[in-house]
Amino acid sequence: MIKIKDLQHHFKIGKKGNERHVPVLKGVTLEVGKGEIVAILGKSGSGKSTLLHILAGFMSPETGSVVVNGQETAALKESQQASFRLENFGFIFQNFQLMPGLSAFENVELPLKIKGMAEAERKMKVQKLLEKVGLEEVAGHYPNELSGGQQQRVSIARALITDAPIILADEPTGSLDSETEKEILLLIQSLNKKLGLTFVIITHDEEVAAVADRQYRLHDGELVKGEQRHAV
Amino acid sequence: MQFKDQIDFIRQHMKRNKLRVATTILAATMGCAFLIVLASVGFGLHQTITDDVLDNNMVTQIEVAGKTDGETEIAPADIPDAELQQIKEMEHVIAVVERNQPEAETQIVIGDRSTYSQVVLSSMEEEQKAGFALSEGKMPTKAEEVIVGYHMAERLRTEAEMEKEANGEEVGGFAGSLIGQTVELELTPFAAEGEEKAETSTWEFVVTGIAKEPAKDWMTDVTFYADSSWGPIFNEELGLEEGYKNILVYADELQNVGGITDALKEEGYYVYSVTEELGTMNVFFTALKAGLIFVGTIAVLIASIGIFNTMTMAVTERTREIGVMKAIGAQPKLIRKLFLMESAAIGLIGTALAVAISYGISILANWLVPIIVLSSLGEEDAGGISIVISTIPWQLVVIASAISIGVAMVSGWRPARKATQIDIIQALRQEM
Ligand SMILES: Nc1ncnc2c1ncn2[C@@H]1O[C@H](COP(=O)(O)OP(=O)(O)OP(=O)(O)O)[C@@H](O)[C@H]1O
Ligand SMILES: [Mg+2]
Repeated sequence: MIKIKDLQHHFKIGKKGNERHVPVLKGVTLEVGKGEIVAILGKSGSGKSTLLHILAGFMSPETGSVVVNGQETAALKESQQASFRLENFGFIFQNFQLMPGLSAFENVELPLKIKGMAEAERKMKVQKLLEKVGLEEVAGHYPNELSGGQQQRVSIARALITDAPIILADEPTGSLDSETEKEILLLIQSLNKKLGLTFVIITHDEEVAAVADRQYRLHDGELVKGEQRHAV
Repeated sequence: MQFKDQIDFIRQHMKRNKLRVATTILAATMGCAFLIVLASVGFGLHQTITDDVLDNNMVTQIEVAGKTDGETEIAPADIPDAELQQIKEMEHVIAVVERNQPEAETQIVIGDRSTYSQVVLSSMEEEQKAGFALSEGKMPTKAEEVIVGYHMAERLRTEAEMEKEANGEEVGGFAGSLIGQTVELELTPFAAEGEEKAETSTWEFVVTGIAKEPAKDWMTDVTFYADSSWGPIFNEELGLEEGYKNILVYADELQNVGGITDALKEEGYYVYSVTEELGTMNVFFTALKAGLIFVGTIAVLIASIGIFNTMTMAVTERTREIGVMKAIGAQPKLIRKLFLMESAAIGLIGTALAVAISYGISILANWLVPIIVLSSLGEEDAGGISIVISTIPWQLVVIASAISIGVAMVSGWRPARKATQIDIIQALRQEM
């Protein structure tokens, strides 16, 4: 499903003529199969987000390749990449990234609107999904009227609504208390089991990583394999 | 994204910033309304003057003021009959009228009443073909029969009445119809200054018809229309040279006037017709209108700065949201389109309001300005002249809309492009 090979990336910092190269990824290789949950752990600043951003196509790697569903993503033009993301990825962002001007329902609906789905079909689909993630009662609420856990569930619903096979999550429980965190993790596990979705979860939290089939640790720009799954 | 959803999307965005969007629309409205109202004055004056020209002229009449064969100038009186005959035979020409005026002081007398007048000698047959209109009676069939101007009767006054009128009193003139009356025509050759007045000759005629009322109520027609066969007789009796001759060519319809005018010009005739006058006027007014539209466009451009600012702010404010949209998989093209549509919507709403307001202002101006002008001149009415200050034809609406909406979209172009270039990672990093 996902094949990352020898990925290298560094950032330039400082003024021109006096810039410093900061290597962040120094040859990362990773394969994720269909229906797997893979967790990537690492200290703050270790380059986890950078890895995810390259995987999602938000930026291009310097060297190395990312192949998703048989497609080398760096080879796509910007507009093709957008379509590719819409088809293949669902995103769960660290701080939810909901649209403040849209209700929970409309936030979940947005990817389908972008896809161009007809209204009646769209509404039904969103309604069903909201029931599944337990949000039907707050469907009309705006993000600032929702709790953190509810917002994150809206954001998960938005990632799922397009039936994308791969969910990329950056600190999905980062801003939640441990009770709510558990709830969200259970939801992720059940979605993985029921729908066979593939998850790549970025976290610095061991408990989150524990739901994964495989764990990796990003350390000094390299990926090290971690321990196997425990029960939550 | 479906078009309906795109519309929903921009409507939602515009609602979120009601005040800012409203003030931008207000500026766009003012700019566009200024453009329309300003240019409408050019259109209005053009219409007023065109109507006036068409009203005051026999529109199918072409005046021949002479001819040139390349070297010598030929006066109308010297144009050979054969050539006039040729004109008469041209397509769409219904008549060629030659009008002569004896160079003599003219007095019409009936009983103890008299008035100054002017004699026009013409072929009654051709006049009839040309459509000489009568208000009463019939065209003369004999040489002793004449037509008199519409105001002839009321101007025929006794000496006592003339004195009264000089004192500012209202006087009546000849009572009853002049038709069938015998009138005397007194002609006295003009005397140069210091010279003794020449002798007066008198002829008698029977009035058979009264000419139509002139188009404008400030015009007075006291002309004495007699057959052209009298020309030589008058001249001989009075010892005059042949007077100035006026040659008038009549077309069957207004639309053929231009063609005949051009054909005559080609042959070396000096001609003058309504189309000539309208033609020069059209050039002038087209230039005027273009100039007014240009000045008005400057107002629209000033308003466009507001649109540019609003859209730039909108893009900056929504950077995070745009980033999320792009991350989810929205095409850069879609992002650009949404922002362009928003600026176009501002232009469109502004234009629609401006058109409505402009029509209001135009109606108001047409009603108010003549009143103000007349009262400042101390007059009650404009003497039958209808003054249109401002007209808004559909063409002006189309031009103004195209300019306003076009300018709005152009000013939204850069912000829209900026939106497509937003970096997803940077955008996601922004605080809510
Ligand atoms: N645009 C950038 N320009 C320069 N350096 C950057 C840029 N983005 C990230 N970095 C650097 O790259 C390194 C990795 O950043 P990254 O965001 O991937 O870390 P992370 O593992 O996600 O950390 P965290 O757990 O805090 O989110 C950091 O040292 C950061 O300073
Ligand atoms: Mg991070």
